[in-house]
Amino acid sequence: MSEHKMIPPNTLAAFGIVGGLVGIYLAYFLSPMNPIFLFFGALGAVCASIWGADVVRRVASYGLGTGVPSIGMLALGMGIIAVLFGLSLSLGPAGPLVAFIISCVIGAIIGIISVKVVGMTIPIMVRSTTEIAGAGAILILGFSIVIAGSLDYGAVVKEVITTGFIMMIYIAGGMAMLHPHNSNLGPDETQDRLLSLSAEKAGIAMVLTGLCSVAGMGTIAVTMLIGVFIWYVGFNKYYGFVKRDAYKVVDIGMLPTEEEMA
Amino acid sequence: MIDLVGLIAPNILWILAIVIGGTLISISVHFIPVGGAPAAMAQATGIGTGTVMLAAGAGIAGIIAAGSVMDLNQDIGVVLGAAAVGAAVMLAATMIVATWIYAYGVGVMPVSAKVKYDPITKYRQDLYVSKGTEGHGIPTVAYVSSTIGGLLGGLGAGLAYYALMKVGTYAYAGVIPLEVHNLNLVGVVATFTIGFFFINSVIPSYNIVGTIEGFHDPKFKRWPKAAVASFLASIPLGIVAVIAVGALAFVGGL
Repeated sequence: MSEHKMIPPNTLAAFGIVGGLVGIYLAYFLSPMNPIFLFFGALGAVCASIWGADVVRRVASYGLGTGVPSIGMLALGMGIIAVLFGLSLSLGPAGPLVAFIISCVIGAIIGIISVKVVGMTIPIMVRSTTEIAGAGAILILGFSIVIAGSLDYGAVVKEVITTGFIMMIYIAGGMAMLHPHNSNLGPDETQDRLLSLSAEKAGIAMVLTGLCSVAGMGTIAVTMLIGVFIWYVGFNKYYGFVKRDAYKVVDIGMLPTEEEMA
Repeated sequence: MIDLVGLIAPNILWILAIVIGGTLISISVHFIPVGGAPAAMAQATGIGTGTVMLAAGAGIAGIIAAGSVMDLNQDIGVVLGAAAVGAAVMLAATMIVATWIYAYGVGVMPVSAKVKYDPITKYRQDLYVSKGTEGHGIPTVAYVSSTIGGLLGGLGAGLAYYALMKVGTYAYAGVIPLEVHNLNLVGVVATFTIGFFFINSVIPSYNIVGTIEGFHDPKFKRWPKAAVASFLASIPLGIVAVIAVGALAFVGGL
């Protein structure tokens, strides 16, 4: 693992927070001009999911004991509650920022409780739950703005929550965060391979959210195309890293036919 | 900006109900026999998946039951009963099918490795544990334990759902009260309850370190820690949830 250059946690956190919030606010302020710009929200969500996948990687490599999915579900659970709260205050443009801050606060509370009361011994637990809740909130905000066309509480409730698309964001977004570590964990795990898988998963989530958008055909087409592009780039990078990290890649050919077996 | 004090003050009782619901969910996880990945390979007693998936599945079944009943009858006993039974039926159905698969598909017998005799059937257990495994399948005691867990978890989820529905339909000063049939309200409350359920099932699964067999497992004695943790964690979540759901009434239920 040491021969590969690692991206430090703070750089990725900055990438997730800044990229995520800039994406959401670009979508927020540019979408009244042309709804096509909503795709920036999904790009922000992709940044957040890469950040979240790295946090999952750091915390789950200590061994949670419960499987990696638990922390992804925890992240999105905290994110959903914080996002709905932040948007329900009707603060206008401050809403997403408040949702992000509230989710970090909830994450810190849950982290402190799991260390102090449950007695978890992971040293980075509080920082990780804080970061992961923040990443979850940005991910939900970014995908919600694409689907609902705005971050108005009413629009989000009507178009994302009541329609049930929130569950798709929950699982598809959660996948982008928890699946990379779950499928790459082990002694040969490398950060770049894991993060490229996260981008690939986030690309799939972006295609799905683009499909659900109510902002018209332009937004649907642009978001889905960019999502497919991210998926394609992520998948190729991931495949490249797999080939790099594997001892040997052997082509075994097709399955033998019945005559060859006999 | 909405009136926060006017929102929280009449709903203190419901915040308490949400907190109790979260604590019940947390306790319920300790009853459910989850074996994680080893159980999926029939090398540990319990169902072969994570705590969160199983508990959340039961919780969501409970929320669906509570939601569909609440549409017809707003009596708290009926709603909570439906939620508890819904979750318990979901878990019982999962386990009976899992037992069939373990018995007829994998070819192992239901046996617990944590006790010498099944506390309910009094059958000998240790003789039947395959070498190198920690039990396999779902023995009677784990089945009964899990049904109790389903009842408790459903009760917790139903309580949180009922409380949030009451918050949403409360007649605030100068605001037209919402109806229980309001789809947006149902959607927000259900989403909240599911997020809440996920959080409160992850905390106890850290407490039991991923696997448990049921109330006969020595790890079960750790439940007070998770109950306290979930109680504390549910207080801020309850307040936040009450504000977000109550705000729906202020914007006219959309």
